[in-house]
Amino acid sequence: MKEIILSLRRTPYQTTSAFLVLFFTLFLSLILFITFSFLQGILVYIETRPQVTVYFQTKTPESEIFRIRDTLSSSGKVLSLKYISQKDAFQIYQQLNKDNPLLLEMVSADILPPSLEIYAKKAAFLPEIAEFLKKQPGVDEVQFQKDIVDRLLTLINILRKGGSIFYVFLLLMSTIVLTTTTLFKIALKKDEIEILKLLGATNSYIRKPFILEAVFLGLAASTLAFILFLVIFFYLKPFLTSYLLGLPKLFLNLEVYQLQVWPFNFLFLTVSYLFISFFGVLIAILATFLATSKYLKV
Amino acid sequence: MIIFEKVTKKFPLGNLALDNISFEITNNEFVFFVGPSGAGKTTILKLILREYLPTEGSITIDGWEISSKNFNQTVTLRRKIGMIFQDFKILNDKTVFENVSLSLMLTNTAFSKIKKEVEEALKLVGLDGKEKVFPQQLSAGELQRVAIARAIIGEREILLADEPTGNLDPKTSWEIMKIFKKLEGKRTIIIATHNTDIVNSLQKRVIVLKEGRLIKDLKKGGYEI
Repeated sequence: MKEIILSLRRTPYQTTSAFLVLFFTLFLSLILFITFSFLQGILVYIETRPQVTVYFQTKTPESEIFRIRDTLSSSGKVLSLKYISQKDAFQIYQQLNKDNPLLLEMVSADILPPSLEIYAKKAAFLPEIAEFLKKQPGVDEVQFQKDIVDRLLTLINILRKGGSIFYVFLLLMSTIVLTTTTLFKIALKKDEIEILKLLGATNSYIRKPFILEAVFLGLAASTLAFILFLVIFFYLKPFLTSYLLGLPKLFLNLEVYQLQVWPFNFLFLTVSYLFISFFGVLIAILATFLATSKYLKV
Repeated sequence: MIIFEKVTKKFPLGNLALDNISFEITNNEFVFFVGPSGAGKTTILKLILREYLPTEGSITIDGWEISSKNFNQTVTLRRKIGMIFQDFKILNDKTVFENVSLSLMLTNTAFSKIKKEVEEALKLVGLDGKEKVFPQQLSAGELQRVAIARAIIGEREILLADEPTGNLDPKTSWEIMKIFKKLEGKRTIIIATHNTDIVNSLQKRVIVLKEGRLIKDLKKGGYEI
């Protein structure tokens, strides 16, 4: 560690430029990762919500609602259906507003509409089901979430593509700057490298100090980027909490685990830190290998 | 045993550094390569170190044909060889101890062993007690002693010296040669030099080169071209 710090101090301008580029790349990577995880969490949440919700007028008789339900069930286009009566709706309302007695006093079961929550077998059936429901008597409103899902998917796709292009650019820029910095350091240590080679040093022995330095820079830059993110997050937390009030817990569906992304928690922040640290170290090692392979000719 | 068999070395631009050279050096032998500048002395040392490959012919060291392009033991070979340069090639940002210990550091030797060997090597070259000194604080003669200590540490069997007294005054040159004398019989010593006095006085084997050709190989010779 002492030797790494000494070596970094001997080339302060190169070290600073490499560090700043890495820091900038990793900070933006962290923001991209968290934004993408958050949007993916929202998508997962929305996909688990009813895809079509139809609200009936309060005076619509249950028999009429059941007729519509049975027609839909027998259409072969519906995966499942759930009837929410006025009584059920009131219970849900009570549960949601249990801490607000004033709101509880103002509302009774009579004024809440009965509804049907419908999950289609295929997304393609959704417009057809929605159109059918709009034509039925006693229907007050049809909420059709395909638009929201589509827009979110489009947004995530744009973010994924745009983010990837932007990230590749950052990766390239960081790698070039780090490679150049390493080359400069190689030039400074030319004599030492020559002597080491003649004494019988292996390629990995010659590369080792450069790689260790790069790993140190990568870890330091990712740690600082993460700290900056935490500072910004805690500064904006009151605003975010009030703005995203009512947003349920969001999860990222991984193959073997559901990672909670909102509200932010220790595990998600740890994963985010590990993600950027991994990328920081990867960029640093890649740049060092490029520099040593091409110009050291070890 | 070092065997050069009909070795020719041509550089890419066409200049001929060595022309059909053959000789054998037995283990623990003390040999001088002499000749004017451009005779091919340094080229021979670089071929032994496998810095260069011969254009023609073969070079064998302890049964290894190091001139083969398929030879993949360069690291192991170089760990058998200690090299001393005219310009010392001592690292200015490292102490005497760090410079000398370089040879052992790269073989993952235990620090206690490194410390013991460095102390012994420095004692042999007369620099004991100067472990913590930086090269800027040393004279040219002392720097060459550091280079010798670095070259002999780690039980290196072959010692190559390229004009080891080239940058030194006569008195210091003799002191350096005394160190080589101390090492005689313990390892193979090959010295490329211009120093007439030293070669004539020591009466060791002398291989005389001129324009890349071997002119004479004298068992107990002097400097004559």
